[in-house]
Amino acid sequence: MKKALMKDNIKEIKNTYKRFLSILLMAFLGVGFFAGIRATSPDMVDTIDKYYDSQNVYDIQVMSTLGLTQDDINEISKIENVDKVIGTYETDGKVEIDNSEEIVKVMCTEDINKPQLLEGKLPENTSECVVEPNFLTQTGKKIGDTIEVQIEDTENDDGEEIPYLVNNEMKIVGTVRSALYISRDRGTSTLGSGKINYYMYINKDNINAKDVYTNIYVKVKDSEKLETSSDEYKELISNTKSKIEEIKDEREQARQNELIDNATTKLEDAEKEYNDKKQEAEDEIAKAEKEIEDGKKQIEDGEKEIADNEEKANKEFADAEKKIADAKEEISKNEDTLNQEEAGANEQFQSLEQQKSALESKLDTVNSALDTANQTYNGILAALNNPNIDAGSLESLQGQKTACEAQIANLEANKNTLIAGITEIENGITSGKQKIEDGKNQIEAAKKEIEEQEKEYNKTKSSTIAQIQAAKDKLEASKKEIASGEEELTKQKEEVNKQLSDAEAELIDARDKIAKIEKPTWYVLDREQNAGYASFIQDTESIKNLGQVFPIVFFIVATLISLTSMTRMVEEQRTQIGILKALGYNKFQIASKYVMYASLASVIGGILGMCVGFILLPKIIWLMYSMMYQIGDVSLQFNWKFGTMGLGLIFVCIVGATIYALTRELRETPAILMRPKAPKIGKRVLLERIPFIWKRLSFSSKVTIRNIFRYKKRFLMTIIGILGCTALILTGFGLKDSISRIMPDQYEHVFNYDLQISLKDGLEESQIERLKNNLEQKDEIIKVIETYMTTETAVKNGVEEDVQIIVPEDKNSLDGVINIVDLDTKEKLILNDNEICLTDKVAQLLGVKAGDTITLQDSDGNQTEVTISNVVENYVYHYVYMSKELYENLYNKEYESNVLLAQDNDLSEEQEDSLAKDLMGYDEISSVSLISTAIRSLDETMQSLNYVVVVLIVSAGLLAFVVLYNLSNVNISERIRELATIKVLGFYDKEVYDYVARETTILTVIGIVLGLVAGYFLNYYILGTCEINMLRFNRTIEPLSYVYSALITIAFTLIVNFVTYFALKKIDMIESLKSVE
Amino acid sequence: MPYIEFKNVNKIYEMGEIKINALNDTNFQIEKGELVVIVGPSGAGKTTALNILGGMDTATSGRVIVDGKEVTKLKNKELIGYRRNDIGFVFQFYNLVQNLTARENVELATQICKDSLDPEEVLEKVGLKDRMNNFPSQLSGGEQQRVAIARAIAKNPKLLLCDEPTGALDYKTGKQILKLLQDTARKENMTVLIITHNGALAPMADKVIHFKNGTAEKIEINENPKPVEEIEW
Repeated sequence: MKKALMKDNIKEIKNTYKRFLSILLMAFLGVGFFAGIRATSPDMVDTIDKYYDSQNVYDIQVMSTLGLTQDDINEISKIENVDKVIGTYETDGKVEIDNSEEIVKVMCTEDINKPQLLEGKLPENTSECVVEPNFLTQTGKKIGDTIEVQIEDTENDDGEEIPYLVNNEMKIVGTVRSALYISRDRGTSTLGSGKINYYMYINKDNINAKDVYTNIYVKVKDSEKLETSSDEYKELISNTKSKIEEIKDEREQARQNELIDNATTKLEDAEKEYNDKKQEAEDEIAKAEKEIEDGKKQIEDGEKEIADNEEKANKEFADAEKKIADAKEEISKNEDTLNQEEAGANEQFQSLEQQKSALESKLDTVNSALDTANQTYNGILAALNNPNIDAGSLESLQGQKTACEAQIANLEANKNTLIAGITEIENGITSGKQKIEDGKNQIEAAKKEIEEQEKEYNKTKSSTIAQIQAAKDKLEASKKEIASGEEELTKQKEEVNKQLSDAEAELIDARDKIAKIEKPTWYVLDREQNAGYASFIQDTESIKNLGQVFPIVFFIVATLISLTSMTRMVEEQRTQIGILKALGYNKFQIASKYVMYASLASVIGGILGMCVGFILLPKIIWLMYSMMYQIGDVSLQFNWKFGTMGLGLIFVCIVGATIYALTRELRETPAILMRPKAPKIGKRVLLERIPFIWKRLSFSSKVTIRNIFRYKKRFLMTIIGILGCTALILTGFGLKDSISRIMPDQYEHVFNYDLQISLKDGLEESQIERLKNNLEQKDEIIKVIETYMTTETAVKNGVEEDVQIIVPEDKNSLDGVINIVDLDTKEKLILNDNEICLTDKVAQLLGVKAGDTITLQDSDGNQTEVTISNVVENYVYHYVYMSKELYENLYNKEYESNVLLAQDNDLSEEQEDSLAKDLMGYDEISSVSLISTAIRSLDETMQSLNYVVVVLIVSAGLLAFVVLYNLSNVNISERIRELATIKVLGFYDKEVYDYVARETTILTVIGIVLGLVAGYFLNYYILGTCEINMLRFNRTIEPLSYVYSALITIAFTLIVNFVTYFALKKIDMIESLKSVE
Repeated sequence: MPYIEFKNVNKIYEMGEIKINALNDTNFQIEKGELVVIVGPSGAGKTTALNILGGMDTATSGRVIVDGKEVTKLKNKELIGYRRNDIGFVFQFYNLVQNLTARENVELATQICKDSLDPEEVLEKVGLKDRMNNFPSQLSGGEQQRVAIARAIAKNPKLLLCDEPTGALDYKTGKQILKLLQDTARKENMTVLIITHNGALAPMADKVIHFKNGTAEKIEINENPKPVEEIEW
């Protein structure tokens, strides 16, 4: 008999497949949406959990205002449950690229918080680094390029300034993704604009300033076994965290002591050195003074000596001159004598000459006598030699010859005597002349000598005079030297005194400093304080919330649909139930058919829904979020919990509705069941009691109105179905509207500038003024205003949010460039000098309103308390506006512009680009960002939102279709006799259709109107739940979206009506008139 | 030429493999203003014949002519027009629209006809002047059937077709209804066809058509029809 029922059941499904399908589809949608949206949040959490596990991300992080030491690490390691403690170095630096300054977060590759390598390799030495992919795409650098990172020197524990890095120039060897920065937010910095643009990783060896760690990361034992952000995980972490906090105080104290000790030792050394130096300086001065005294005395001595020498020399000169004069006189006397003697001698010589001449004449005579003798002699000789000569002649001749020879000899003797006399006279003259000559020579020699002497003397004299002069000069120079020495000494004395007093002041300072060494503050943070992580987890919460609302619509509709369908089914089979009952089947056996029918539909639909929902929805939602987070792909999983929960819920809804529909019928006796059910009784509607209106209505309107009120359940169902459909579609459009309006709202309404020009550090006011004037003179630029911008953290009620502080140079110039508009009154505001204006979203996050105070905290932890004058409109990010006067008062700093905001002249994209390029050429400008570029890139990512709209429209359409189709079926089957009757009465098909459709149309219109209202609120709610911290969605929906939503709903209704039209046409008059079944 | 003529009308229902000959070469004629009773056992084809005559069903073959109009040749839309203007139908189970008052039920019909009668007058004629504004559920069976008759005649049809109009009524009420129909036929000179399985009603008609096995087996003409009051069964 069970078999028979089963067969009946399968036949039933076949025959009423439309009804079965509509219930199945409702189960599909209900479970699909429920399970899908519900699973998305855990899927996302699971994704980040796996990612964090694989990158070995910290559980707890410790930072300190004065750095952390190895001792700190050791102490933390001792804490129970602590698995791993790693100290590392993180700081901010600047990278200059094409004149533009980028602020980067510089971290070390560690075993903890491992960066995920995307391309290339990790840095292996001091000259390598890896960057995030954005860095490359936005700056145009490539792997293999070298960049220079400038990091401020840091003070080591000895108080010396040392460079932070070993190597500032590094080659990019790869790109990585950091688990610490999964959102686009890179945090704040004291450098530049105060906003970190990129992160990069370097090898730890490249850290030069290794004295103290900046961060300590702690891994808690077994934490990776728990899902991050789960309650168990949070409990485990908070236990360990509180244990770390227990030693916090002690460690802070230890660090303070260490620093004080260090500084005290140093101070003592410095004091000693100071004293030594002072002594030394004093000694040196004394010595110098003495030297000057000595010098002075020496000069005095020298002067005296020179005077003495001069006197002596002068005397000597006089002596020498006299001697020379004497000698000269004697010489001239000798000369005179010699001249006299010469004259006498010359007379003698004349007489001697005469004697000589006499002798010579005698000699001549002798000589001629001799010649004659010789001739005679030669004649004799010649005659002798004649061989003919007779001996007597020969004898005569011989006697003549001998006589001649005697004569010659005689003559010869005379001659010789004469020659001797002449020679004697000549000798006498010669010797006399010689004598005189000698005398003359002697005098010449004496003269020469005296000349020599005189020359010598003159030389000596001039050299002596020169010597004396030189000595005098030298003395003069020494005098001068001493004078300048004296002057120098005075100066030096002053200087030394100054140095000493400076040194002393320094010592006092140092002493003060020691006194002022504060206890450092430890910040013990967990993952929740990581901005990216926190906002991600928050977003998963939003989706979870979303999952709690959306599916409800589907569940309600599913329940109502099943209720009507199953009620109708039971009613249709009333007779059959009666028969079965009469045959002796019990309630449960009879009910089992319908329960089975409903169960099958809900289970099959539910399982299909699960399969699609678990994949499709997380994927789509992830797609939306992937534009904000850099984690990788979502990890999809079959979530049994939500699967069975969804299935269970839909099962309860559908089967429950079935059982509810059944119970009424099953209570009746078979006899009653087998009789046709009394048709619904006609009733007057309230409107009929107002004859004034009722009478004016056409007949068909009256019928329609009555019918609408007759089938209240259906009336309600239709309206709910249409309402849900319209609301969902409107929400889809509303979401799109809101999100696509963020950019224009922010960058046209609130910010109305086109260029944000960051200035280099340390510019003079006049330089900025000149630059501003230059820019204003450009044709492309309309207006330029000066501002100071920095990023700080706003703190209130334990909530921390990063805010950008904007301080205009002239608060009156802000209008039109940045519009500060009160959120409530919509009035444009001008900053006052005592309070700040805070933007809307952060005010909400911090839970503050106008008149409240908040704390602003810079990245060094300095806190400033401020009062809010107004909460102002804003859509992207958080801002604090304050006047220059307030800024200077609060921070005790002189105002200094660092950003210029410029409005341009409605430039095209290319024109703006070239203007930006042109501006980058200015020395004063560090970077130029175009608002239009930012809008464009964000607009592109917003495109993915269309998916959401499509998903919503499709699901809403399905919902509407199922509801309307089902209702229309029920409507027709319930009223089939009535419809057949009017057909018999001769209603044309169109008239029959109108007879039914008029009701549907009215209900659709009511449903749409209510749906638009409900959609408004649903949109409001959903925007509220899925709004990202950084953004404020504008919750107004465009009028056109209302129109579209209504039109789309109408289109769905028309499709259903079209189907209805044919169903009505097919009604067989005869079959329906035969009898009541 | 007769007012209504059935000529060799066949109606075959195909239920999958099985063919059922509901009408088998049926022939009969009815004159204008006649009160005709069609009698026969269950399944004899009387309702089928009535349905075809009323334009609710089509014949498989043969011709049906009403007032010179060949109904069997009418297209769907013309058929609806025929139902609308030429036919008044009274059902066994009244088939009133529960959500409409007596008057509105009548209006439902009159509002679509060309020469309809005033609903209130018609209701007065059928004796429901005081119940005009009542809903069907507030009326007795007989009253409901009166409303149904009023709805049918208010259209001022050429032909009033009644399928077992007393089938769901008690004897007394049934008699009243039949009287109403007979009076209507007489007073309004309306052609009225009444289907019944009750042969006892035959004397009230001008013409009695006996149906058996899907065909008009015998046609009797009563020269002196009895008023309903005189008939007992």
